[in-house]
Amino acid sequence: MDRVLSDFIISLRHAGVRISVSETLDALQSVRLVGYNDRETLRDALLAALPKSAPEKEIFARCFDHFFSFDYFADADATAGPDSAPVGAATDFSLTRTLLSGDRTALVMAMREAARAANLTDIQFFTQQSLYTLRILDGMGLPGLDASIQAMQANGSPGAGQQAAALEKARTFLVDNVRRYVAQQLTLNTPTAMENLLTSYLRHAKLSTLEQQHFQDMHIIIQRMVKRLNDLHSRRRKASRRGQLDFKKTLRKNITYQGFLFDLKWKKRKIERPDLVVICDVSRSVMRTVRFLLLFLYGLNKAIVRIRTFIFCSNLIEITSIFDEYPVEVAVEKIRLGADLPILMGRTDYDQSFRDFKANHLDSVSRKTTVLILGDARNNYAEAQTGILKTIYERSKRLIWLNPETPSFWGTGDSEMKKYIPFCSMVKECNTLHHLEGVVTSLVHRRH
Amino acid sequence: MQTIHDEKFASPETIRQGFQEQGFIASRQITTTAFLAYHLGKPLLVEGPAGVGKTELAKTTAAFLDLPLIRLQCYEGLDESKALYEWKYGKQLLYTQLLKDKLDSIIDRENGFAESIDKLHRYDDIFFSRHFLEPRPLLKALQQEGGAVLLVDEIDKADDEFEAFLLEILSDFQVSIPEIGTVSAITKPVVFLTSNNTRELSEALKRRCLHLFIPFPEPALERNIIRIRVPGISEKLGRQLVAFIQAVRQLEVRKAPSISETIDWARVLLILHAQELSPDLVRDTLNIFLKFEEDIAVVAERLHPLTAGAVRAAGD
Repeated sequence: MDRVLSDFIISLRHAGVRISVSETLDALQSVRLVGYNDRETLRDALLAALPKSAPEKEIFARCFDHFFSFDYFADADATAGPDSAPVGAATDFSLTRTLLSGDRTALVMAMREAARAANLTDIQFFTQQSLYTLRILDGMGLPGLDASIQAMQANGSPGAGQQAAALEKARTFLVDNVRRYVAQQLTLNTPTAMENLLTSYLRHAKLSTLEQQHFQDMHIIIQRMVKRLNDLHSRRRKASRRGQLDFKKTLRKNITYQGFLFDLKWKKRKIERPDLVVICDVSRSVMRTVRFLLLFLYGLNKAIVRIRTFIFCSNLIEITSIFDEYPVEVAVEKIRLGADLPILMGRTDYDQSFRDFKANHLDSVSRKTTVLILGDARNNYAEAQTGILKTIYERSKRLIWLNPETPSFWGTGDSEMKKYIPFCSMVKECNTLHHLEGVVTSLVHRRH
Repeated sequence: MQTIHDEKFASPETIRQGFQEQGFIASRQITTTAFLAYHLGKPLLVEGPAGVGKTELAKTTAAFLDLPLIRLQCYEGLDESKALYEWKYGKQLLYTQLLKDKLDSIIDRENGFAESIDKLHRYDDIFFSRHFLEPRPLLKALQQEGGAVLLVDEIDKADDEFEAFLLEILSDFQVSIPEIGTVSAITKPVVFLTSNNTRELSEALKRRCLHLFIPFPEPALERNIIRIRVPGISEKLGRQLVAFIQAVRQLEVRKAPSISETIDWARVLLILHAQELSPDLVRDTLNIFLKFEEDIAVVAERLHPLTAGAVRAAGD
């Protein structure tokens, strides 16, 4: 019965429950303790050993009901009762014999055995259903059954004819059941397979082309990515807190113990969190990317990054306070609509925006600041001065320019990207979630 | 290992009876999991909303097995010196002062400096021996001769590092103390960890534990609990108040009332000599099981339909 359990664990894994080898062993031992006799107890035992969180328990409950439903071949007796089992040439084949005898357990066992041989647990797409059904039927010995039916029909005697008809009926019944079994296995496997596909598709899809319907999914993916970054970085922060022996402090503290050094004091290294100034172009061409970048940045723990955000189109304004007041999603939406904000949504004017920044906010950039500019550098053929950008670059620690266009378009038409590049520490193409994640990771990962 | 207790843990059913004698009504899920945790010798991670009896489960197990309960309450900043062991600095200090005079005779002035140091080295370990070790809950649990029930309460409140540090204890039931060496459990303790899910626990920790989620109880189970824990209460009132609490849990409240609050409320109603629920009575006692102003407002608004519903449900 251990095989049954490992099959069950495979379908749990397909459904998205993470199960390690040691947990599998636990489950095996648990089952050995409680046995397979009582369905409810078995369920409780596995519930304790395998899923380890409330959502996983829900998935488990669903899988358990699906997997341990033994209602196959339920009306087998109606099709071919034991009394109709005659002797004859047909009984050479075990499948024919089992079908005729109506032994339900044997049929289920044979089906599971064949399914295992055909690696049914690997099934992923509904198009594979008929293939697996065929393989399982072959494994159970369908060709043999067909042969015996033919032999009986050829025989010609009335008894054999009747038996052939019964077998024919049983055959349809068998095929139905196997098909149902395969379909059920598919439902056990598919949700996550599809989900994984979708996730990887969304990660690499161009942000500007995404449909509205995927925004919800994107949020979830972003949340997941951000959580990982947060976890990763908070651990690092804690580790770097441990420092060297602070001798002065130790001496001072231990004067009370007559100079015996019992209570050691350690130097605490102050962590520099990245100080971030984000300057975003919010003209329509770039808005969507901006939206996701902001979702990403403000998802990060406040202890990890400190952000000031500016947006510009024809002029430049600061919007940090909006993020302080509202939750991220609401804030991003407010910015997208541009309501109540003193921003002019005319032609994008990089020059004017940089001048605004210099006039009002240049003091926000210091030697510790990383400046992140997101824009396509399309200045509508207006003159582009690089002087202010140079000033910002020199004042800041790093200046990173993210451009949603692919590099081959930089400098074409009204794009001034080529002019700006010399004054950036790093220039990156940024138009998928994957890119965004890379950028944000490099922001918080840098050791100071 | 714990052969003496095997009889008490012979089957989930015997556990259920044993727990009931201790005044703890357990669902089948709980007893089966406890049964497995005991026989596999694995720690049991218990999750669920506040007040559903997570801590109570550990206490009951201790009482049932007649073992000491050693409790470690977790909080942010909890570290090894509070959880595992600490050197008795004061005692060390005192002893060095007392023994100062002995120093001369030990070192023996006739000899040279190098020799004196050699001699001192021989006494090195005295001050870092078991006599100067202050065992904290985890070490204490390992040192109990007859075994113990170790309760690590609200593990989610502790830091990630502490969780990592627990791993060695949970999987091997031993700890390393640099100055002394590895200390193994004399008798494996029965370990319970509880979590309120304020943060996600690490995979590594979860992997080493069996997992039990205690949800809010079914009406029948909750009625049973009330009957056992608040013996004087009338059958009718018990049914009504359980139905009422169950209905409140369906509402959008910040903190849904849990079993402990149901019990509190039942006790209060008993003291007030209430015979059955009425809107006025409920309004006066709402603050027993609702702990937020907003929640009280939400329930007070629907007081009449809720009370009527509870009375009707109890009548069936």
